[in-house]
Amino acid sequence: MYTAGIDIGSITTKAALFKYGKLAATKLIFTGYNSEAAGKKIFTEILQEAGLKESEHIKVVSTGYGRGSVSFADKAITEITCHAAGARYLNNTIRFIIDIGGQDSKAILLDENGKVKNFVMNDKCAAGTGRFLEVMARALEIDLDKFGALSLKSQKPAPISSLCTVFAESEVISLISKGVAREDIAAGIHESIATRVSALAARAGLTVPVMITGGVAKNIGAVKALEKALNINTIISEHAQLTGAIGAAVLAQNLK
Amino acid sequence: MESLEILTAAVADPFTYARKLKKDGGKKVVGYMCTYAPEEIIFAAGAHPLRLFGSNKNIILADGHLQAYCCSLVRGVLEDALSGDLNFLDGMIFPHTCDTVQRLSDIWRLNVPAGFHLDVVLPVKLNTASAREYLIDVLNLFRSNLEKALKVKITGDDLRKSIALYNEIRNSLKRVYELKSKNPQIIKGKDIYTLLRGAMIMERSSYLKLLQSAIKELEKSAIKTTNTKKKRLVLSGGLCSHPDIYSVIEDAGGDVVADDLCTGSRYFAGLIKTDGDPITAIAERYLQRVICSAKHKDNKSRAENLIQTAQENGADGVIFMLLKFCDPHAFDYPYLKEALDKAVIPSLLLEVEDQPQAQGQLQTRIEAFLETL
Repeated sequence: MYTAGIDIGSITTKAALFKYGKLAATKLIFTGYNSEAAGKKIFTEILQEAGLKESEHIKVVSTGYGRGSVSFADKAITEITCHAAGARYLNNTIRFIIDIGGQDSKAILLDENGKVKNFVMNDKCAAGTGRFLEVMARALEIDLDKFGALSLKSQKPAPISSLCTVFAESEVISLISKGVAREDIAAGIHESIATRVSALAARAGLTVPVMITGGVAKNIGAVKALEKALNINTIISEHAQLTGAIGAAVLAQNLK
Repeated sequence: MESLEILTAAVADPFTYARKLKKDGGKKVVGYMCTYAPEEIIFAAGAHPLRLFGSNKNIILADGHLQAYCCSLVRGVLEDALSGDLNFLDGMIFPHTCDTVQRLSDIWRLNVPAGFHLDVVLPVKLNTASAREYLIDVLNLFRSNLEKALKVKITGDDLRKSIALYNEIRNSLKRVYELKSKNPQIIKGKDIYTLLRGAMIMERSSYLKLLQSAIKELEKSAIKTTNTKKKRLVLSGGLCSHPDIYSVIEDAGGDVVADDLCTGSRYFAGLIKTDGDPITAIAERYLQRVICSAKHKDNKSRAENLIQTAQENGADGVIFMLLKFCDPHAFDYPYLKEALDKAVIPSLLLEVEDQPQAQGQLQTRIEAFLETL
């Protein structure tokens, strides 16, 4: 018995395939312009990888901002509920999730049974999101993969006061022209995102244990800055970026 | 529903409607900002009270007068005024409520040439004996100022007739809400929105007729239908200028069965006594009605009213819909949320603006909230 979860995010599309209630395969591609095509493509690819035919009966739950464009899904469920299910599958003690994705960040409080009790999302701007980090890494000409590690070398993080991505970028550019070290600017950027996201976490009612999910969980600089700002340790799964898709596949098991 | 079609047209373009009313019926049109403007007195003076909402156009001129922390309602109304779209107004009424509306009054006085300009300087506290006395004085002063501005005499009889009409409108709107709560599927949320908004835009006597015919039709369909299994929600906040939000909620598997909005139940809550001095009776309604966040009564009545509304309507949850930068409502939110938490009523906070929304995010929040209920 197979189920699949497809999470169409603003930047990447993720898929998870479950066999008899266990994670069997995962996949990640860029979403691009056409989210419907991305959903179809990733589903075909993950089935191929598992050696399955599309004709085989597989329950599918779609999630993410593009959840409505997956025509073959049996159900669309929001990423809030899917992240809760995914985080609890990865670690069943989790009470709080901080999800930092490409275009939004969320803080989700769970009850003892893993049910969503409260959640807070960022506003419509890019402050405190993966996109913010992308823009800043580009301004500093650093690979996104190395951005977090570089920031950890800083002894004296440069303060970034603007929350707005566009204004923060011009702030970064003036820091560059002043000759401030790259790692200090990078550290300042990660502190800025941590401040923004901790405010969300406080509003949602921060409770430990906390799991960080979403693409930004892969950035060690952001994770460390966040742990420092919240004054706690966090749990990060190797599948952090796939949490939503995993949760969707978990929830697909309940479909009749 | 034919009555609804007529209402929808007027609500979609209130300025054209008001201009026509002025041209064809010779009515003077008096704009006003919120439910603390004593419409009954304006109507008694033979003028047409038109509530202004701002027409969602891009803000260009208003930003020359307003800072970034002013709400989109005030921004939108000022833009309409400065762009000349409100030149047909014979006058404008500003009730003393939030800071931003008071400052809009000042900006208007200095920059908008159309018509007369009246402030109604209401008391802030509504629960003291002196506030009551003062409020009655303020409304009497408003009556005589309006008489001078419109060059008419407002008699006691004029006021009593107006009060009777307003009582009938408010009773009918209450009936609409009762029908919706009992049978949410007989009318869409966006149509309830239109029915309510019509009351603030259309000529009141003809509006009442349309409303009554709509009620007759609703009562007919209410007999045939059964209850849905959708989640029942209460909307709380200042004003709603987003009929779309009702559709988003309905598509996500919910129904708005009651509200605590200035453009909703606060508009029709409470009737005016028909015996005794009419001005005193109008003041009494303001003193007793559930308050707006910009007013003070005590530390619990708003929360109690919200909880009662939720419980009486069998609500599964409350959605706070706050206009961004509306500080009175934002200051009230933490205490209202705490009271709901204590009463174990789940709630969701949405911040909205009059200008178009990021629909995807709004949808995700509402759907996720409904998934938790």
